[in-house]
Amino acid sequence: MADTYRYIGKATPRKDAAEIVTGKTRYLNDIKFPNLLYGKVLRSPYPHAIIKRIDKTKAQGLAGVKAVLTWEDVPDWKGGTPRYTRILDAKVRYVGDAVALVAATSEDIAREAIGLIDVEYEILPAVFDMEEALKPGAPQLYDEFPGNVVTPGAPIFGPHSLKQVVMGDVEKGFEEADVITEGTFGYENIPNPLPVEAPGAVALWEEPNKVTLWVTNQSSYLDKITLFHIFGRRVEVRTHGGPCGGSFGSKMMSWQVQTYATLLSRATGQPVKIVFTKEEHLAAFVLRPGSRMHAKVGMKKDGTVTAVSGTWLIDTGYYSMTTQSQVAVGCGEVQIMVRCPNWNLKPTIVCTNRNASGIVRGFGGQELKCAFIPLLSLAMEKAGLDPVEFFKKNYVKPGDGYFWRDGNWYTYRAIDYTKAIEKGAEQFGWKEKWKGWLVPTAVNGKKRGGVGVGVHGNADVGEDASEAYVRVHPDGTAVIISSVTEHGTGQRSNYIKMVAEVLQLPLERVSMTPSDSLFTPYEFGPAGSRGTYAIGGAMIAAADDAKKKLFELVAPMLGAAPQALETVDGIISVKGDPGKKIPWKAMGVDRTLTGYGHFEPDYTMANFMMTFVEVEVDMETGKVTLLRVLNTTDVGQIIDPPGLEGQLNGCLGSGGIDSALFEETILDRSTGHILNANMIDYKWRSFSELPVIDNVILETPFPSHRFHAIGAGEVATAPGPTAVLMAVSNAIGQWLHHYPVTPEKVLTALGKVLPKKRKGGAA
Amino acid sequence: MAVKMIKQGRKKTAEQERIHLTINGKAYELLVGSEPDHVEASHTLAHTLRETLGLIGTKVSCDNGACGCCTVLMDNKAVLSCMTLTIECDKREITTIEGLGDKPTGKLDPIQQAFIDHTAFQCGFCTPGIIMSAKALLNENPSPTEEEVKEGLSGNFCRCISHYQVVKAVMATSRGVR
Amino acid sequence: MRAFTHINARTLNEACTALWKYKGKARLNAGGTDLLSILKGDILFDYPEAVINLKTVPDLDYIREEGDVLKIGALARLSNVAKSPILRKSYRVLAEAANSVGSPQIRNVATMGGNLCQNVRCWYYRYPRHLGGPLGCARKGNGPCLAVTGDNRYHAIMGGKKCFAVCPSDTAVALAALNAQVKITGRAGERGIAVTEFFNPMGNSLGRGEMVNEIEVPRMAGRAQQTFLKFTLRRPIDFAIVSVASVMAVEKGLCTDVRIALGGVAAGPVRAKSAESLIIGSAIDEAVATTAAEKALAGAKPLGNNAYKVEIAKTLVKRALLQSYF
Repeated sequence: MADTYRYIGKATPRKDAAEIVTGKTRYLNDIKFPNLLYGKVLRSPYPHAIIKRIDKTKAQGLAGVKAVLTWEDVPDWKGGTPRYTRILDAKVRYVGDAVALVAATSEDIAREAIGLIDVEYEILPAVFDMEEALKPGAPQLYDEFPGNVVTPGAPIFGPHSLKQVVMGDVEKGFEEADVITEGTFGYENIPNPLPVEAPGAVALWEEPNKVTLWVTNQSSYLDKITLFHIFGRRVEVRTHGGPCGGSFGSKMMSWQVQTYATLLSRATGQPVKIVFTKEEHLAAFVLRPGSRMHAKVGMKKDGTVTAVSGTWLIDTGYYSMTTQSQVAVGCGEVQIMVRCPNWNLKPTIVCTNRNASGIVRGFGGQELKCAFIPLLSLAMEKAGLDPVEFFKKNYVKPGDGYFWRDGNWYTYRAIDYTKAIEKGAEQFGWKEKWKGWLVPTAVNGKKRGGVGVGVHGNADVGEDASEAYVRVHPDGTAVIISSVTEHGTGQRSNYIKMVAEVLQLPLERVSMTPSDSLFTPYEFGPAGSRGTYAIGGAMIAAADDAKKKLFELVAPMLGAAPQALETVDGIISVKGDPGKKIPWKAMGVDRTLTGYGHFEPDYTMANFMMTFVEVEVDMETGKVTLLRVLNTTDVGQIIDPPGLEGQLNGCLGSGGIDSALFEETILDRSTGHILNANMIDYKWRSFSELPVIDNVILETPFPSHRFHAIGAGEVATAPGPTAVLMAVSNAIGQWLHHYPVTPEKVLTALGKVLPKKRKGGAA
Repeated sequence: MAVKMIKQGRKKTAEQERIHLTINGKAYELLVGSEPDHVEASHTLAHTLRETLGLIGTKVSCDNGACGCCTVLMDNKAVLSCMTLTIECDKREITTIEGLGDKPTGKLDPIQQAFIDHTAFQCGFCTPGIIMSAKALLNENPSPTEEEVKEGLSGNFCRCISHYQVVKAVMATSRGVR
Repeated sequence: MRAFTHINARTLNEACTALWKYKGKARLNAGGTDLLSILKGDILFDYPEAVINLKTVPDLDYIREEGDVLKIGALARLSNVAKSPILRKSYRVLAEAANSVGSPQIRNVATMGGNLCQNVRCWYYRYPRHLGGPLGCARKGNGPCLAVTGDNRYHAIMGGKKCFAVCPSDTAVALAALNAQVKITGRAGERGIAVTEFFNPMGNSLGRGEMVNEIEVPRMAGRAQQTFLKFTLRRPIDFAIVSVASVMAVEKGLCTDVRIALGGVAAGPVRAKSAESLIIGSAIDEAVATTAAEKALAGAKPLGNNAYKVEIAKTLVKRALLQSYF
């Protein structure tokens, strides 16, 4: 396939490569601003309290301090879904919640001023567990959420936003089942996606109601829209995006750090920068949602799922940023994975007194599957089914349908992933390694081997809208006008590749504008797996439109119809008549031509990722070692081989596979403190312990756009944790029900350690 | 806001009055004190490089010595600039990412070129720190095994997971050097 | 970081005098990889007034043998300790322990003295000021130990008293197995103390104006197999959940001398003396090693969340013994 393309499918150096390896890339914290002030946040020592009194006089009196803001000084700006969470409130709802903001001429002075603010709290009882939070008489976080139930399905995707999976007749379904199983699994370790670059923003307010922000995330245009609504639709917002040091979803639609900077700039008249410390990043910025599922599953011996009935509790922390959307997408994804006609799956989103959960790669699907796939596995075990065969049978096929996030029914029209499953299983050696449920693959003295498999897929490959302009110039160059920024996927370079392919220009002759919401068009952002199809679609359409305009303009000069023309390297000729040609300069040196492209959402296609893992368990210490990972997928057409490989290897990052092994945000559930908000106690994978990783990537053309490609980056993290849970359970011969599978959990399961009721520890 | 101005207690904080550093072959004399462009006793080398001297190639992530992003070479050894007090670096020779490659010709250091050729980065934030650790490793051990490369880079955090391509790039560099 | 007075010590005497002068409100700075995290986190209720640089004291970083005694200066870098041919030859367990610390960048600047004197890793003790801290506790002298009722998965399983944090030093465990002495200098002169006596639940035995200046390690007579096992969730960076250092001499298939030191279990490294006496004169097989391991952990009193450490410690002792037996 790749042979027919000049650039698509071939490894080409990234446009920003030289900049990155020489340290010249200017991330947010590298940009210099004249007259800059530094902002800091005073954070609550209590998980739940009313602020009785704040005395800021000493802080204000410190030389170098330009503003001190409390809840009494700021407008009633709110965020969250629904929009009930104030930017600064008279109540604090988690240890670390923002109490006051300071802007000063240096970070040191700002920090000192924070320490001079005097606060009197009235401490309230707090709640840290979902089921406790739902009980009558539990501490209530918001008057607006009785029972701490966050309003389900707030119409984030339209009036019928998916808030549950309910269809058919589960009673009848259970009657048809050969086996029925029931259980509870939890994925409650709330890992942090932990991009390397901390969240931050710079804001410059201009009276009376304008603010310009420099932001760092994967969608700076969306920041403009999000903040416009946060600011009560009364402030004109302009955002400058730039290179982002990783996001994995977490920086998307984040609003607090940007709003703090805006409020401080408004109060001081100077630009204000706030960059979170890594501790704040871990304890006061986006975590994965917590997930606990109890369900009954009915299954036939041939792997048909006849009924699923249960409750899904989602812990969103002290507020829901977008958790309803993760529930909606999770509910959609689960139908893509399992062909079942009878569902009664009811999610409940609960708020608790801890740092909030938000958008993280895996986006609800990972949280759901980490609890749901083990539940399905109980039934597969009883029915004696190989999980790979189960997934092969059940994964969505052309002609199948599902309710997607907007509550509408869609008919799937992408490809059948059976080949990808079979190729992956073959390369992994699944048939040889799989010995049955709860049976180790190998026993080697005190070590046992186990294998597991997980699966995920998302119909987000064509979600949301994108726009792009491509402007072509007489000197044979083109520029893409778009607010897409680079956050690690290489997409900025990939769009240049796509446009260069359409216009047949050398790669060096195509560039992209900086991201500035003032003149770059609407862009949802390269989120989920939409970058390749959705944004790519807009890019290709814009390039095509520019080419069309160019051909229409020069066709008379060549005495041919526009359709008869082609262009290579800035020279336009008549197809089949190479003698007749003119350079792009013929358009006139005093003009440019701009093509426009728009992508309309398309929810009829889903991508696919299956992850096989092999682990080794030390039965005496409980230590689990990840030996091997194999990802298998089909992307239609690889745009950039090393870029895609990087995305698939990313399964070891952003709270993916390792959330099953050692990643967890450790919350003391009696005091509410996050105990491991640092890079030593929060564990991440290092160079020293890299498992063998293989990526099997098929290319079966998709009915997407002209390159027949779809995206598969975001889905890399979701299948891994369940695969590990399965593998370890198989190795030790019994089901583990919680993540991560630390040595302690394994030893407890093996009866070598008595389970102790944790008071202050994690679940 | 009519309050008494509390002056931040900035009494004499160091006996040293000036610090001499060589950074990327260039000699710097920095004055100690609390005025702008001076070095305070509490300033880390990362802060001085980035904020005082404008050398923003060295990135800061955890600012606590646990992630390796701020790695620079000091007297040819890989050290964490965020955990180094500038005031304790008198007479030291420091190399940052800006010091790699050949300035007059613009030719990149072989490690940098290998990183480009192998796409050994994704978001790039951790890349300068990894390149500096790789530089220190290859300076000491020009022909490392893959295990030695992994151990040499084991103090560097990358969340996008560019590790596999990084190892390939460093191995390729060492083969080229041989 | 908040401001402090900075002093470059030119001699040990200057350093000790400055320490004395500041009455416990000054801190020594060697590698800086621990001190700076304490300062940045602003975790103490009494921020240090002064930082005393030890790197300006010449000739403190030696590693040399004087007869049968290994002498390591307090400022010896862990990277040099790890690759020293002298250590690799006769004090291997210490080289391996040093090599397991932190990361390459940390080992390039971290020192033996710093590794021994570093602050504990208890996450209540270290809770940062800017996240709603700092937290008062027993170690800080202004509250109860929060780990006892909280998440104590990494805390002590033996000897805890008031404070239940464990000693984070890997080198201390190896030094305990090698019968090493910590040499201390101060206004009152020089003294030495066994590394096993150097630590206590509330800190170490340094008095006002005192500092560690040297570590002395007697060479074990005859051939000795040395093993260091460090159990962590992942490598590197991590501090030991449990670690074991064992040094064993074997003649004609029987163990003639053995030292077993446990790390990550108490306020200091713990020598498993009763397990040691059990083994002397025996051949080591799985059964003997298992019994010795049980004996080594017999005094364990786990807290609410760390009973699993007892299991892991037993396994490490058993494996270290089997590995050391030749």
